[in-house]
Amino acid sequence: MILTQTTAIFLDAYRELNAKKLFWLTLGLNLLVVVLYASLGINEQGVTLLHWKFQNEFFTTDLVSKELFYKLQFTSWGIPIWLSWATAILALVSTASIIPDLVSGGTIEPVLSKPIGRVRLFLTKYLTGLLFVGLQVTIFSIGCMLVMGIRGGAWEPKLLLAIPIVLAFFSYLFAFCAFVGLMTRSTIAALLLTMLFWFAIWIVNVGDAMMIAQREGSILQVEDAQADIEKQTTFANKRIEQLREQGKPIPGEDGDELTNGYTDSLEAVNPALKLSRSRLQTAQEGAETWTNWANRVILVKTILPKTQETVALLERYLITQEEIAVLMGMNEEQAARMNRNEDEPAFADPRAPARVEEVMRKRSTTWILGTSFAFEAFLLLVSCVVFVRRDF
Amino acid sequence: MSAVIDIQGVEKTYKRRIKALRGVDLSVGQGEIFGLLGPNGAGKSTLVKIMMTVISPSKCTGTVLGEKIGDKNTLQQIGYLPEHHRFPAYLTGRQVLEYFGAMSGIQRKQRKAKASELLELVGMESWHKDKLGSYSKGMRQRVGLAQALMNDPKLVVLDEPTDGVDPSGRRDIRNILSHLKDEGRTIFLNSHLLSELEMVCDRVAIMVHGLVRTQGTIDELTADQSGFVITTKEPIPEHASSELNSLSLPEQAEQTSADTIAFKTDDATKVQPAIDTLRKHNIVIQSAGFKRPSLEDLFMQVVSTDHGDKPGAISGARSSKKGAKS
Repeated sequence: MILTQTTAIFLDAYRELNAKKLFWLTLGLNLLVVVLYASLGINEQGVTLLHWKFQNEFFTTDLVSKELFYKLQFTSWGIPIWLSWATAILALVSTASIIPDLVSGGTIEPVLSKPIGRVRLFLTKYLTGLLFVGLQVTIFSIGCMLVMGIRGGAWEPKLLLAIPIVLAFFSYLFAFCAFVGLMTRSTIAALLLTMLFWFAIWIVNVGDAMMIAQREGSILQVEDAQADIEKQTTFANKRIEQLREQGKPIPGEDGDELTNGYTDSLEAVNPALKLSRSRLQTAQEGAETWTNWANRVILVKTILPKTQETVALLERYLITQEEIAVLMGMNEEQAARMNRNEDEPAFADPRAPARVEEVMRKRSTTWILGTSFAFEAFLLLVSCVVFVRRDF
Repeated sequence: MSAVIDIQGVEKTYKRRIKALRGVDLSVGQGEIFGLLGPNGAGKSTLVKIMMTVISPSKCTGTVLGEKIGDKNTLQQIGYLPEHHRFPAYLTGRQVLEYFGAMSGIQRKQRKAKASELLELVGMESWHKDKLGSYSKGMRQRVGLAQALMNDPKLVVLDEPTDGVDPSGRRDIRNILSHLKDEGRTIFLNSHLLSELEMVCDRVAIMVHGLVRTQGTIDELTADQSGFVITTKEPIPEHASSELNSLSLPEQAEQTSADTIAFKTDDATKVQPAIDTLRKHNIVIQSAGFKRPSLEDLFMQVVSTDHGDKPGAISGARSSKKGAKS
């Protein structure tokens, strides 16, 4: 009986989506994006789109392989723009009405009078929303995989990881949407509040990225200052040696007093050391402050679902850090050699983005998915309790 | 006759202060058509929803089909047509039946056969491919009735089944109900249409202010108010009235108006002396016959004599707001 009921609910959900035309509209848009992806190409001169050619210095087959080119297109707009935003928005618009429609007066009574438990009914309805996204992402991912294989010559089955990853990402939002839909019985309220919630998560993510960039920038400043102190100390020691050899007095030694607020002989013989030490202290204080702030933001993030990080997992699995470094065209040493104004904020350090990327990539999949699913499970639990206890 | 519905002391209080039901006792026997009636806000739909597990009672003892109220498995043997139902407009008539059939756990093959059978029964076979959105209210009601029968229920609970249905449709529904009764099914009807109930119900209960005020067969409930009534063409003259009063007529005989005499007896022989007296005075008798109060008369009497406290009235407002109208 469970199978019969579950199949009926899924079939009904499909019929509802079909009636709204949103299923086919979204499918059509997905296929259009796949066609667009297939129409892109690369040759010795640059990038091609159908029969149009666009000359480009970097994107040529001499520098970037066809395989990497298609991989890059997928990770640069396929994941962050299409799968993370467009698909999710379309899916939310399509599925936001599932729970409000279920609990509306006149609809819920005949369903509740059937031999199906309320928890199972609610969760099955919730899953129908995920099925919608699952079907769309599956079609999109298979389409992109075929394009990558046929046009790029690389068969990348990892691309299919987009299905569970995007599904997980959408499930966080849909759990919230279902909860609001149940509480308010309004599709508009469910949709708008979910968008607002998503925006709030995005703000926290931006805050997190900024705090980490500041912290990593400050740590780089500390490292720079320490290296500088080491250099200045070596220089000061050499200078003291020279003074000794010349028989000249060394400030701070043999009864010669220190002046100008120097703390030791090294500073006295090399005033730049004092500046370096002061810079180190400032950098250390900055690093400590930004570490505290970054930790606070992480605390907030731990409670909330990790939408951005979840989708970024796909990029993490598809493109290695080495490939990113190559693509960036500069490594940390090159960046360090660049001249930069010391008054610039820590995050402006050109080496900071790479460090931020490294920190982000170091966040464990267990933490990202585990805490997000915990949030989702909590919302579903509350929703189930409300649904079971409510009189309709 | 074993009881299909046997409930005692059903109470429902909303938000700890609004009492919709205040201890309902009800018993419905197997194979009978039972009618539940009452004014708006009496708590009828709340009671039905409690039986169908849509609402949870604050207090309740008793059984439906031998199982405690709230038992989900029992619902497999109950068919339910809610009041103000809104079946999905994107489904066709047949799809509605198959969807709710599947929700009752019926297998695909049986569902298809049963849906065809029921569409024919409710006269919707030629509309089965059209979407519900294009149906009239009466057509939706017919499909709703059919969906309530998809699982071959032992108990059929119908909340305002003739709502929006035209006279011929009502007759069709009455025929269906008789057919279901002949098959041995129990039918629980909740309706405002007293004439409809009177025609089909074996027993009725009248609910007012969250309580069942009276229940029984219509004959039982109207027995003490039935009797012969004689109406004359012109007002009965004084001298004839005096003679009538001197006759040994049934105790409760009374002249209800200038031209009407009512007798609270079902024995025709006891009325003959009065007819003889009237004829002796050349008074033309317009009509003479046995009269039983209608269900509407009974209903109005129960409702008008009920002076229940306020909560029932408040519960009516609450019911309307929550879509739990009676």
